Amino acid sequence: MLLIILATGALYVGVYDFNGVSPFTVLGQLIQGDPNLALSDKYVIWDVRAARIMMAILVGSMLAVSGTSLQGLFKNPLATGEAIGLTSGATLLAAIAIVLGGHFKQYLPEMVQFSLTGISAFIGALLAMMLVYRISTSAGKTNVVMMLLSGVAITSIGFSITGFLIYISKDEQLRDLTFWNMGSLAAATWTKNIVLAIVIAISYTILLPKGKALNAMMLGERDAQHLGINVERLKKQIVIITSLMVGTCVAFSGTIGFVGLIVPYILRLLFKSNYTFILPLSAVLGSILLLIADTISRSIVAPSELPIGILTSLIGGPIFIAILIKFKKSL
Amino acid sequence: MLKANHINYKHKEFFILDEVDVSLNYGEFLAIVGPNGAGKSSLLSVLANEIKQGKQEILFKEKQISAWEVRELSMHKAKFSQHNSNEIPLQVKDVVMMGRYPYFDSQPRKEDFEAMNKHLYETDVYHLKDRDYNTLSGGEKQRVHLSRVMAQVENQIERKLIFLDEPLNNLDIKHQYKALEIIKKFTQNENSAIVVLHDLNLAAQFADKILLMKSGKISAYGTPEEVFTAENITNAYHFPCTICPHPVNSNPMIIFG
Repeated sequence: MLLIILATGALYVGVYDFNGVSPFTVLGQLIQGDPNLALSDKYVIWDVRAARIMMAILVGSMLAVSGTSLQGLFKNPLATGEAIGLTSGATLLAAIAIVLGGHFKQYLPEMVQFSLTGISAFIGALLAMMLVYRISTSAGKTNVVMMLLSGVAITSIGFSITGFLIYISKDEQLRDLTFWNMGSLAAATWTKNIVLAIVIAISYTILLPKGKALNAMMLGERDAQHLGINVERLKKQIVIITSLMVGTCVAFSGTIGFVGLIVPYILRLLFKSNYTFILPLSAVLGSILLLIADTISRSIVAPSELPIGILTSLIGGPIFIAILIKFKKSL
Repeated sequence: MLKANHINYKHKEFFILDEVDVSLNYGEFLAIVGPNGAGKSSLLSVLANEIKQGKQEILFKEKQISAWEVRELSMHKAKFSQHNSNEIPLQVKDVVMMGRYPYFDSQPRKEDFEAMNKHLYETDVYHLKDRDYNTLSGGEKQRVHLSRVMAQVENQIERKLIFLDEPLNNLDIKHQYKALEIIKKFTQNENSAIVVLHDLNLAAQFADKILLMKSGKISAYGTPEEVFTAENITNAYHFPCTICPHPVNSNPMIIFG
């Protein structure tokens, strides 16, 4: 309970901080003086700004939680959506949906268009996940090298097919595809946020109470079973829910890499690998991290903006290497 | 407590367990002994419902063990595994608290902390409770897991069962006795234990019944006096030995060579 209160507190601090440091401090005050607000100001604040902040919070949280749960499932701090090819799988199927789905897309209402890319991204993530898990895990033990290498394989397959799709695609689709590969929160709308919020609500109800179970998995699957944990059901839930979260994030914001690596890494420094703490906390820290990153990405080269994926990868890359060095002996 | 008939376990075409029958009474300490590769650990795994292969009839408290609800079952029985994970990036007390997972939902209650502390004391690892598990020695890790298993069966339920696969590995002589005394004390309240042991003399001293295995079959079963005869042991281990009564407690004492 205390965690939830802290969470809400931290979220509000994050948002207010942003309003304070942004060059649009004046607009912050205008929120209270609603009646005199110009229509364009209101649009900027509500439909652009607030929607984008909300999306950063939702997407950041989901990416971090999916990373943490994947690491629990694979029992390794290197397991993240990007490293094991989940993101590529999602991107690939989303790209296929954009290019090939484009033929009948205009006949569909907005909600269904979202769902089309969203659902294909989810299926892509799920397929990649199942493939990696099958290849790298036998008798309850994960082979880390196999896990990372199958991720590389899936990523390269995804990359080549996405490349081909870029080659054959029309101008408008090309812009969409490039956005997919870069990752950006600029396309935030409240409709998307509502969909994200629904996905989060479902996922977190199932996933966040699983901290104990993920701890027990460190003993090995058999011993976790002896502790009263239904291991098979747990694995299925994690596979499906992380795919759903990664798929949704990719569909709405493209590839924003490494959030699922950075957040649990920081939390592990403080709480060891105790998932009863790091799982719920990664939901909060993920939001904070992505919110900060997004704020920097659109203010550092203003009035233009830096793709957010560049920023998160810039922090994530060195951390990935740091973990690798730490695990050098056990690999 | 536990009844199993005709247990078969095959790996490819090779029988690891061949028509094994086991029956265990309430309050019994059963030691499984035998040479390497005799199928001791496999038998324990099958009995503890870890391996599900073919049609096995294992009755735990008069009910098919596979029909038990997982969480309910975890309050009635616990298992100490031979190959405990070396890398658990948690503190010792977190590892022992895992034994209480069947009992609480998100936050441990007062009785969970009490059970944790009690068993940290009993296995002599209380002073290590804030240490990182990964920095412990092999024997200390074993004691932490024993503590975790004993904390798991700390409840009001009657007639519980623990499975232990070579719990004495890496333990010094004092802690070997201490561990066996903890198990013995547990079985004195109608609870039962099935323990895989290598030290025949310790088995003779602590166990009520001995199950001697050889090549996936039971080669002898009964009280220590019945099983530990020079003929049975030499036959199973292909190694000569002499049996004489223990000077202090008159249990059979096995001298090899």
